[in-house]
Amino acid sequence: MTMLATQLKYDLIMFFREIFYLVFTVIVPPATYLFMGQLFGGETYGGDLSYVQFYTPSFIILITFSVVFFAFGFDQVMNRSLGIEKRISVSPVNMRTILLSNIIKSVIITSLGFMLITSIGIAVYSLKISLADFFSAYAVFILITAALLTISSAIYSFFKEMKSALVFSIVIFQVVLFTADFTVPVAQMPQFVQWIANLNPIYHINHIFIDVWNGLFVLNTETTISLAYLTLLVFVSVLLVSRRAKV
Amino acid sequence: MPNIIVKGLKKAYGNKQVLKGLDFTAEQGEVIAVIGKNGAGKSTFLETLMMIRDFDEGTVNLFGKDVGSLGAKGVRELKKDLSIVLQPTNFYKNLRVKELLELFRSYYGKSADVKATIRDFELQEHLKTPFDKLSGGWKQRVALAIAFMSSPKLVILDEPTTGLDPYMRDVLWKNIIRHNKEHNGTILLSTHYMDEVERYCDKVMLIHEGQSNVFDTPANLLAKTGHTSINDFYLDRIGEKEAVR
Repeated sequence: MTMLATQLKYDLIMFFREIFYLVFTVIVPPATYLFMGQLFGGETYGGDLSYVQFYTPSFIILITFSVVFFAFGFDQVMNRSLGIEKRISVSPVNMRTILLSNIIKSVIITSLGFMLITSIGIAVYSLKISLADFFSAYAVFILITAALLTISSAIYSFFKEMKSALVFSIVIFQVVLFTADFTVPVAQMPQFVQWIANLNPIYHINHIFIDVWNGLFVLNTETTISLAYLTLLVFVSVLLVSRRAKV
Repeated sequence: MPNIIVKGLKKAYGNKQVLKGLDFTAEQGEVIAVIGKNGAGKSTFLETLMMIRDFDEGTVNLFGKDVGSLGAKGVRELKKDLSIVLQPTNFYKNLRVKELLELFRSYYGKSADVKATIRDFELQEHLKTPFDKLSGGWKQRVALAIAFMSSPKLVILDEPTTGLDPYMRDVLWKNIIRHNKEHNGTILLSTHYMDEVERYCDKVMLIHEGQSNVFDTPANLLAKTGHTSINDFYLDRIGEKEAVR
């Protein structure tokens, strides 16, 4: 327990000392949320949702994605390729403790992102959300974080070199940014972008979370397909992670 | 009692047999060099001793315990008596030296003494420096300090002085020898610097094509073969084997 607490303390310290992670997680998403709000704050989205109703949950998901893919997935590749993982594996530490610390770190940081965007929404855009919707949104948010951690672990288990993982991370960040309804609405984009969006799990997660956040979630054909697709991805990811762990 | 007894160690990767029945013994207090050209099986052998690599056949006995019969918990317990310095040396780059020492103390438990380590390895100057900002020599010094912090019975050094100037190499070696004498441990060294083998090691093992080709003291080796240096012996032996092939 002491070891887990120490590891977690230093994992968090390392995150907040890494400018690269901070830019992509704590700086860019909130800044974009504020900037876009100034430009398009008066518009309506996804039917009759205001900017703050639509984009507050969206940017929470964007921060979660960034944290999980950069500070969790990419971080694992970095530790593997630099030999840090090997050095630690020779010490008398259970590697599951290291993984658990990394997971708790990610949940803490994504939760901070959740609170940060919500606070900006309340302070700048007069965001209103009922306590019940807030708590149900947070519960779903934790499930989403767990799903993304699993998918991220599976994807980054394929990388041995830090450079290729970094290029992948930056490219995938751009793809997700433009095909998950974080910026320009996907419905207004060309057909091939909409096709990519449908394959992008973050697009599905984003829309489910927007519905949950606004108390509008209902199980219909669209949401069932999204949930089934995400469940399948998580299932395949678990299989991949388990198989890689045995190698 | 020997710290390490290895008998008939075999390991293959697919069709490639890397270790072909290697035997090895290391007594307490010994510094032993493991040499051989790239791909000879050195890394596989050392990683087996680090307990991060499975083996196919043979027995590996560390500090009186049969590694092959241990469960995960037993292996973790045994790792308390083991430490390594890898090349290249890397730790969490954003952590300061003091923080790295604290983190590794949490891995090893109460047996690790941070204060004594700072004093013994004279780390005060850079305690607040992030690991990434240290020079190569200092990184190696910190790696050695962490390796010796828990007073391990076995330390495996993988090219610990690569890229360092002769002065820093000498400083690090004095630290290594002093600590090993104090703790009566065993040091295994993988290096390409044959002068270090001659100067600091009690024994040398040449691994060639997956087997222990030579295992003796440097002095005996030179006396038996008539070479004037371990470097000459190594080049001659490896060259001879290559020529035969």
